[in-house]
Order: sequence, then C-alpha cells, then structure tokens
Amino acid sequence: MSDSLPVDGIVTFAEGLPGFESQRAFVVVASSEMAPFTILRGVGADGPSFVTIDPRLVDPAYPTTLDRVDLARLKAAGDEPLLWLAIIAAREDGSFTANLRAPVVINPGAMCGIQIVAVESPYRVDHPLPMV
Amino acid sequence: MLVFTRRVDEAIVIGDGIEVKVLRVGRDSVRIGVSAAPDVPVHRREVYDQIRAANAAAAADPAELPALVARLRARVGTSE
Repeated sequence: MSDSLPVDGIVTFAEGLPGFESQRAFVVVASSEMAPFTILRGVGADGPSFVTIDPRLVDPAYPTTLDRVDLARLKAAGDEPLLWLAIIAAREDGSFTANLRAPVVINPGAMCGIQIVAVESPYRVDHPLPMV
Repeated sequence: MLVFTRRVDEAIVIGDGIEVKVLRVGRDSVRIGVSAAPDVPVHRREVYDQIRAANAAAAADPAELPALVARLRARVGTSE
C-alpha cells in the first residue's frame, strides 16, 4: 500500500488546494511513529498543515481510479504508483472525520499533487473515522 | 465580475484558451459547455466551495500536529 511510497522533497500543487490556492509547495511527512497517519505540510511561514490517511485504510473498497483530466493534472499515465491522502478534520466532540469525497493525490514520479474535486461522489467530506 | 449577455451558441474565451459556450437556454437553467486543455479542472461552484470549507476546517498549525496525531493514533481504528 501507499505507506511504502517515499515522497522526499517538495511536491508541487500547481493549483494549490481549494481554499489555499496560492499554496503551491507541500511536503509529505511520514514516520513509523505516526503511521498510518501522515502529514501534508504547506511549505512557508503560513503554510497550512493537514493530517492525512490513505482513504483505503478508512474504506478498503475506496476506488482509486482517475479520470483523464486528473491524470493530466498529475502528469500521470495511470499505471504508476500514486499516493492517496484523505484530509482529516477534528470535530468539537473529539471525534474525527476524513474527507473521502475530495482526496489529495500525489504523483511521486513527477513530484506533483492535486486535490480531486469530483462532480459526484458517494463519499462525504466528513466521513466519520471509527473510534476504538 | 465581468458580465456578458450571450445567445445560444455564443461563447466567451477566458485566458488563452478556455471557452465557455451557451448550448441551450431553458426556463430556469442554462446548459453550458466548457472547452479547455486536458489538464484544466472545471467544477461546479458549490462543490468547490464545499471542499474549500472542509479544507479550511481541517487545516492545522504545525505546532498542533504532534498532539493531533497522538490523539488520532490513540483513538481511531483503521483497516490496517
């Protein structure tokens, strides 16, 4: 799975993220101490940081296919390994949700990343994460 | 906002090549076609806004991250 996919260095998000359109550079921070969570950190003083998780760890049936627009945005052919990251948010009641509707996808081969804004999706931006 | 009045089959061009064309005009809605380079995403406004709001709610200060990750690891079960 994706946790063996090293991403060293700056990943370029040509369009930033919705809400952070001018944030063009991110790094992925991963370690065995944090696993299965990783951090997507915006480079720079005011860079936003996000805790993320592979959406397939939340729902093993999560589809990781891309349409041709998103493949083009990622400079990907479709057969190379890609990193899928769902952004996690904390709720006020102490629970957590993951944005399975709009995952971040990174192409380590081209060191570029995007957030998918699907026209339709069966998933929610606030998919509840199961608590133990 | 730049405002144009267009008839059916008329279009506007944005930047160096994004074209927005009026395809059909109905009573309550307009059918619009967008032509752009293959790597240009085009979204419905309200979907984009929903993602934007979700990102804003999730964004954290780097200083908050260690505690956040610790809470997640302690309390969240995953399919791993």
